[in-house]
Amino acid sequence: MLCIAVNCTSGCQIVNEIPAPAILLSVTVNFTTFAVLQSAQMLFNSIGYLFFLPLTVAAYYTLPRQWRWVLLLIASYLFYAFWNPAYVLLLMASTGVSYFAGIKMSEQRSKPARRPYLFLALAVNLGLLFAFKYLGFFTGTVNQLGSIFGFGQIVPYMSLLLPVGISFYTFQSLGYVIDVYRGSAKAEHHAGLFALYVSFFPQLVAGPIERARNLLPQFREVHEFNPVLFSSGLRLILWGLFKKIVIADRLALLVQPVFGQPEYFHGIQVVIAMPLLMMQVYADFSGYTDIAIGSARLMGFRLSPNFNRPFAAKSIAAFWNRWHITLTTWLRDYVYFSLPSKSGGRVKSWKLNLNLIITFLLVGFWHGANWNFLAFGLLHGIYMALANIFKPELTKFNQISGLARFPKLLSAVNITATFFLICTSGFFFGQHPFSDSLTLIRNITEWSNTSAALLTIVKNNDFLLGTALIVFMLWFEYITMEKSFKPRFQSLPVSLRYAAYMAMFFFMLIFGIFTRQEFFYFQF
Amino acid sequence: MFLLLLVVNALLNSIYDRWMIYHRLNRNQDRQFEAFSDTLTYLMLGNSHDMINPQILGNSFNYASPSEVYTQTWYKFKYILEKSSKKPEYVFISVDPVNFSPKAENTIKFDGYWRKYVDYFELAKETGDTDYLVKWFTGRYCAYAGNYKFIFMSLFYLNADFSKVVNGYRPPRDYRNFALEPDRRASGIERATSYLSGYGTAPDPGAVRYFKRILELCAENNIKPILVRMPLTDEYLEHANKLVDMKSLDDQIEKIAGEVAGEYLLFDFRNEFSGRPELFFNADHVNPKGADLISHKIKTRLIESGNY
Repeated sequence: MLCIAVNCTSGCQIVNEIPAPAILLSVTVNFTTFAVLQSAQMLFNSIGYLFFLPLTVAAYYTLPRQWRWVLLLIASYLFYAFWNPAYVLLLMASTGVSYFAGIKMSEQRSKPARRPYLFLALAVNLGLLFAFKYLGFFTGTVNQLGSIFGFGQIVPYMSLLLPVGISFYTFQSLGYVIDVYRGSAKAEHHAGLFALYVSFFPQLVAGPIERARNLLPQFREVHEFNPVLFSSGLRLILWGLFKKIVIADRLALLVQPVFGQPEYFHGIQVVIAMPLLMMQVYADFSGYTDIAIGSARLMGFRLSPNFNRPFAAKSIAAFWNRWHITLTTWLRDYVYFSLPSKSGGRVKSWKLNLNLIITFLLVGFWHGANWNFLAFGLLHGIYMALANIFKPELTKFNQISGLARFPKLLSAVNITATFFLICTSGFFFGQHPFSDSLTLIRNITEWSNTSAALLTIVKNNDFLLGTALIVFMLWFEYITMEKSFKPRFQSLPVSLRYAAYMAMFFFMLIFGIFTRQEFFYFQF
Repeated sequence: MFLLLLVVNALLNSIYDRWMIYHRLNRNQDRQFEAFSDTLTYLMLGNSHDMINPQILGNSFNYASPSEVYTQTWYKFKYILEKSSKKPEYVFISVDPVNFSPKAENTIKFDGYWRKYVDYFELAKETGDTDYLVKWFTGRYCAYAGNYKFIFMSLFYLNADFSKVVNGYRPPRDYRNFALEPDRRASGIERATSYLSGYGTAPDPGAVRYFKRILELCAENNIKPILVRMPLTDEYLEHANKLVDMKSLDDQIEKIAGEVAGEYLLFDFRNEFSGRPELFFNADHVNPKGADLISHKIKTRLIESGNY
């Protein structure tokens, strides 16, 4: 007998017993042996990971080469089981079906012959995603429409516990299947390596969403201990932890009350909360990514970059080339390029813009099944479509106003305008109710008692520290990515370099937040 | 490098443990309690809300400490009864909404000091929450982690005058008048939200469990508990009422007290200072003036009820 956990509309949790064959539902099987594991989720910023990672890395280099993939596979499944052992079954299902589809497609010569297997993999992976992530939204929406039109409740409301990382590993599996279907990747015949590709623990729960052509071949490589790569991995882990523990979690203290109780925040408070939110999300998610990439580097693996100083973007399009790069490129390659853009044999700009909006609606919907994320995606799609439509006029304006003659000033204006637009979309970035977003938008126009509110904000130690840390983070990433920082830093005496690492380590210990805070993107 | 990290960490931990202002205050309180030789009639336990001046009541000791939650109170109370020769006749316990907030219960602070009293391993075993083990570890080996505010505060109060602490009671560190706060409503919302949001429909089960245990200890040792609802500002209460079903909470507390403690006293001063912000330090703490006033009122009630 399996159990399904169903959230009722009031937020309470009802557990209904259903017969075992009704799988694909939120399984809360009583795995008593894993009870301890469940109480200690394996977050990158947890004590558990502090032991798990070094042990895995040490074992990885100790084991004979032919057994290393086995170790990584066991470690990855164990890592996932720390969240909810039952959900390992979902990971296995996604892996098994994608592996089977890949093998079968590789045996077919034509695309039409491969198509049924593609559809099978799409159906299972998207079905899992729908059941666990979107079912609640759809049944809720259908019932809302039902009550509007006087039909009352049409379908029973069902919302299942969201398995961590499902949006990431299903997309990774799908990317592989589509590549095999298109013939741009070969099917992986080694079931163990394929399972490892889907479940590789550093990037399992929040990306980067890896392509088969990048990650799979690396599992066949022999990774000798590489001190340069190893130390760069350690540095990335340190920086990622710093961003998460010191910056993101500190900013969360300031931002969470605003989204938790929007009715009490007005004018300047909301204006300040929006950029803080975007910085929190960036520090959190890019911090996670740095730890993921750094952890993989310790074992000689190179994961794809996911961020490239997104707030330096001069347009929304450029922003998405710098933010969550692996998701954007995934949707570009597998969705945007697949949408029809021609009419009468010619590319139509209106169709391209419509495709942009559709793609960004999917970006929003990928983040979460609620109206907020749909609005977030729609807003970004509209921003990009408008930028395309008015590109000639904007260029003309820059020339007439004289801005074009001052490229640095023009860049600054573009960066500021882009950041402003990103912040405006921040109202809709989160799992809070859509009505709360509207409340915040309404409250932003209320500017009474501003000086007192501002005084309270600037007297807040966390605000002052958070602001200073944001400036530091942006500056540090600027000098490390844009300038010749690394060679200069490497040329410093060892003692100075170690002193810098130690300073950062102890700064993190003193200024960090050590209560268990999940990463923002785990909810996706 | 690793060895150096350990050495620096040990050094920082030792400095923090010794000089952190609350550690110093709490340990000073411990020393005063140990040296307390008068008759101990009244013992105040709990957090910073318990601003009851023992000098006004007489024969009493205020053992309340900052950010203390019922779990810590129970362990300390148990320690006092088992390991010291002192046994009070009455124990004051504040029963404010914050005492039953899940936020308060889940944030045991100052582990460096509390290691002496709290059995973190027992807590981890009982609750299944491994965070308690982490807290024990950080309290023992890395107490300064995440505590930049207390580091700065400790530096600011490096020359704190402990002579003002009498019978454990420490008047608020400076005299603040909440009436002068530029935006009292915002301050009330901020305090209530910080400590009471996510309250839900019922008080935190962990808080209730340890509240019961405190009352059980009282019953086992023939100590009469005095439950006190300390004064709160209108601004705080306005928002707190939206987050907490105050009536239901009060009913539950009284029901538990009736069942577990049997005989108990309940002093309700929650709205006592309504419209009098000048008696508060911030939205939910009385200032020395308010504390003295409430202590006199408590004394009057004790006399009236024949418990003085």
